Amino acid sequence: MGGAVQSIDWWAVAPTLTLAITAIVVLLVDAFLGPPRTRARALVPATLTVLGIVAAAVAAVSLRGETRSTFCVESTVCSYVVDPFTLVFWAIVLFGTAVVALLGTAAIGDGATPQGEWNFLLLCSATGAMAIAASRDLITLVVSLEVVSLPAFALVGLHRGDAKSAEAAVKFFLVSVISTAVMLMGVSLVYGVTGSVFLDQIDTALASGASPVRVAVAGTLLTIVGLAFKVAAVPFHMWVPDTYVGAPVAIAAYLSVVSKAAGFVGLMLVLTFGLQSFVDVWAPLMAVLAALTMTIGNVLALWQQHAVRLLAWSSVAQAGYILVPFGAAASAPSALGASLGYLTIYAFVNLGAFAVAAVVGTRYPRQRLSDYRGLIREKPGAGWALAFALVALAGLPPGIVGLFAKVVVFDAAAGTVTWLAVVMAINVVIGLVYYARWLMELFRPSDVEAGSTYDVPIGVGVAIGMTFTAGILFSVFPGLLLDPVLAILR
Amino acid sequence: MSASTIALNGLIGVPFLFAVAAALLGRRTSDRLAIAVAVTGAFATFGWSVWVAVLSRDGLSGSGVDTAWIASLDIRWHLGVDGISAPLVLMTTLVFVCALVSLLRHAPADVDGGPNRRVSLAALLLVIEAGVLGSFLALDMVLFFVFFEVALIPMWFVINSWGDVSDVVARRRAATRFLLFTVLGSALMLVGFLLVRSVTGTFDIVEIASTTYASSGVTPVLASVLIGLGLAVKTPLWPLHIWLPDAHAKAPTVGSVVLAAVLLKLGTYGFIRFWLPVTDPAWELVVPVVAALAVVGIIYAALACLAQTDLKRLIAYSSVGHMGFVILGVATFTLGGVQAAVFASVAHGLITGLLFFVAGAIKDRYGTTDLAKLRVLYGRLPRLAGVFAFAAIASLGLPGLAGFWGEMLSIRAAVDQSAALPESTFVVLAVIAAFGVILTSAYFLAVMRSMLQGSGGHANIEQYPSVEPHPGGGPHLTETPVEAADVHALEWVAWSPLIALTLVFGVAPGLLLSPVSDAVSSFLAGM
Repeated sequence: MGGAVQSIDWWAVAPTLTLAITAIVVLLVDAFLGPPRTRARALVPATLTVLGIVAAAVAAVSLRGETRSTFCVESTVCSYVVDPFTLVFWAIVLFGTAVVALLGTAAIGDGATPQGEWNFLLLCSATGAMAIAASRDLITLVVSLEVVSLPAFALVGLHRGDAKSAEAAVKFFLVSVISTAVMLMGVSLVYGVTGSVFLDQIDTALASGASPVRVAVAGTLLTIVGLAFKVAAVPFHMWVPDTYVGAPVAIAAYLSVVSKAAGFVGLMLVLTFGLQSFVDVWAPLMAVLAALTMTIGNVLALWQQHAVRLLAWSSVAQAGYILVPFGAAASAPSALGASLGYLTIYAFVNLGAFAVAAVVGTRYPRQRLSDYRGLIREKPGAGWALAFALVALAGLPPGIVGLFAKVVVFDAAAGTVTWLAVVMAINVVIGLVYYARWLMELFRPSDVEAGSTYDVPIGVGVAIGMTFTAGILFSVFPGLLLDPVLAILR
Repeated sequence: MSASTIALNGLIGVPFLFAVAAALLGRRTSDRLAIAVAVTGAFATFGWSVWVAVLSRDGLSGSGVDTAWIASLDIRWHLGVDGISAPLVLMTTLVFVCALVSLLRHAPADVDGGPNRRVSLAALLLVIEAGVLGSFLALDMVLFFVFFEVALIPMWFVINSWGDVSDVVARRRAATRFLLFTVLGSALMLVGFLLVRSVTGTFDIVEIASTTYASSGVTPVLASVLIGLGLAVKTPLWPLHIWLPDAHAKAPTVGSVVLAAVLLKLGTYGFIRFWLPVTDPAWELVVPVVAALAVVGIIYAALACLAQTDLKRLIAYSSVGHMGFVILGVATFTLGGVQAAVFASVAHGLITGLLFFVAGAIKDRYGTTDLAKLRVLYGRLPRLAGVFAFAAIASLGLPGLAGFWGEMLSIRAAVDQSAALPESTFVVLAVIAAFGVILTSAYFLAVMRSMLQGSGGHANIEQYPSVEPHPGGGPHLTETPVEAADVHALEWVAWSPLIALTLVFGVAPGLLLSPVSDAVSSFLAGM
């Protein structure tokens, strides 16, 4: 460092920075325009958000195929690295945030959500999600994770005059603060043992036998607990159903995809880059967590009648599948590629389900499963998109992309932790029960006469189209998605 | 693109494209045109499958489709056809032609219905056909798994939406149970396939089969057990058959036909193509246990049949018994056993398909398949009763009809099994299986006696008031309100190929046996 001004690789920072700048632009433009008088004017913040995301995506695409580091300390250890691993998460974050921004336009009608602030907070949170994927030291990682979470509390509660929404926000806030505290404790223990916050240096120090080992193990466990809250792994999942149901559907989608992805990035970075030498400690623990998470998520989803609550439990179960390769990491370090692959596929499939739930919510705010009756006939576009998302989440054809997500995870587990693969096979069946129940409702005729109709704002239509197209495209050519993603950690 | 590439891909593509076309036409234009398109699709697929069957003479090596699908997972789009799969492919396409032709006359009633539901059913059947044909052609284990699953959701819809109208709750339960059992089986099978890959380093079953698979250690055994479990659910092997009677009984007629004639064959074919190469007969427990379960299934199914009061459930249970013979043949690890398995699979497809068609026809006419209510069909519907008697006699294995050879050869193979297997065990199993043949005759003869015979004529209608023709009768019953119509012309069209082939294969079994034998010895290294 030497007191000199750091040279910063602005290209590497550009995508993250673009989102941050867009956030401020959205807030300022909204402030100057004042409260929207027409529906078209109300679309301005969402439009700006999507444009900002596109700009960030262009910048990110230009970085493909190379590895760039910046914010380096001794020209070897860097806090911020853009490599193919980072880019995959950026793709998830940018795609997810764009879809969520479009879904947010469904709330324009009720006038209870200030669009400018809403989009501002969304972009702030997404900035954190971008930063965490590039972070390579514990401080940047923790700070980024908080940047993801803090705006998210506000987003959950940002629905004027809705007590449930406020309650959900408080619950989410409390759980999140506790998990951060626990994680900081773990991080500080690891720092105390190794003397560094950089993941590379931690890895080197632990591999060469830094002591006391017990403190380092305790630090590892606490860090995992903190991150397990973020990805809603059982037993740290209790906040999920109430928060998802209380929040606007678009924010529930955001929490289940982008925010969860941020938690998984944190886990992957800390465990594989920093704590690889403790793999024998954390891999069995993660295997048990995975088994518990998918089983409890699936079993509790069985009884749900509320569509969003069902999706909440299903997303708990899906997190369990994503955790499976962590359990297999002890004997196959490349296994985490399977988590990456599953997460990528889960992202757009799950967003697709939430997108249609947002449409149905405009007509039936109570979101009962029976409200989905007749959707195929009345709104074929939304109906087929949801049907596809559900079979893909269940992992069956025609949702071949979801099937391959499961194949990838089974592949990581079979042979190394075969018992976990068998548990997962049983869980796939349990999951099928509720996905099939919901699917059946779509094809049954609705019992109410069409008094009201669905309100499909143009943005939500685009969002459904984006997720559905991705699903169909990658079902026909699964290799397009899986080949590059799985190659990263080989 | 070579001819075989077009032929193999096309065999999967043609039914799928016709399904899409029919579904789209069903939205826009008339029911009649769309259904005609679907039936044309079935005929086109049948024609195409003949072309593919001609190609099968070249065997698996050399010809076929083999390109990378997902390179990072080493999953290949690997299709091929040989003497083992070709008979099943032809049988499948033929049964689907019969099923779709039978839809021309009328659709099963549909309580959730709206217009054009018949078209949806026809389109779903074609999608199922595409999935089944893909499974028969796939030579990559994961590709087989994918196609295996393709047929599931459509079949679930067929049972769930078009099944037994009288009991909606029961048919939904049957449909869901079918779905869950099969998915559990196939998920375990997938884990097994992935374990095999961890041992052999490839998903290519041709490559695995060409080397003698004699591995020690836990993983290969576990893989074989998991694959066997998955296929045993589908086949089904006792005691994993419990999904089957309900699913077959509650499905609409075409659904039962397709389930019994075609979908069960995915299990038996899987045993031959994907279980034999990864199983070592020298393992002391695995193979004898499979054979023993098969034989228990034969006896259990026959006893269960004797106790059935419903015709469709009876036919469903009889399938469990027939599949037992198939698996017994496979588990002998001999050329003759595999020949018997393929032959019995095809014969079962033809005969049980016909039985379910007739059972469906009876249900259309009387609204029930309750054996206590059906009497004297020889007197009322002589031709229909005649067809039923023919199919029942074929099913119980009368020499000279197709049902005989598969079971006879399977028992013979068990007596004369592979050297690695415990000889006395298999001889005992063969004897028990032969006893099962007698029981099978017993229940079919009992059914024929109670359902078909008796003193005919109108007097009996007063005696059994519940055999009044189906109230309302639906649009298809244009005959007199008292007496139901005998076999309709379209029914003859749909059933006659099955009847004819049952006769042909009964008289000339060599037509089927010799290509199978060539294919087996070139596919499996050890035989």
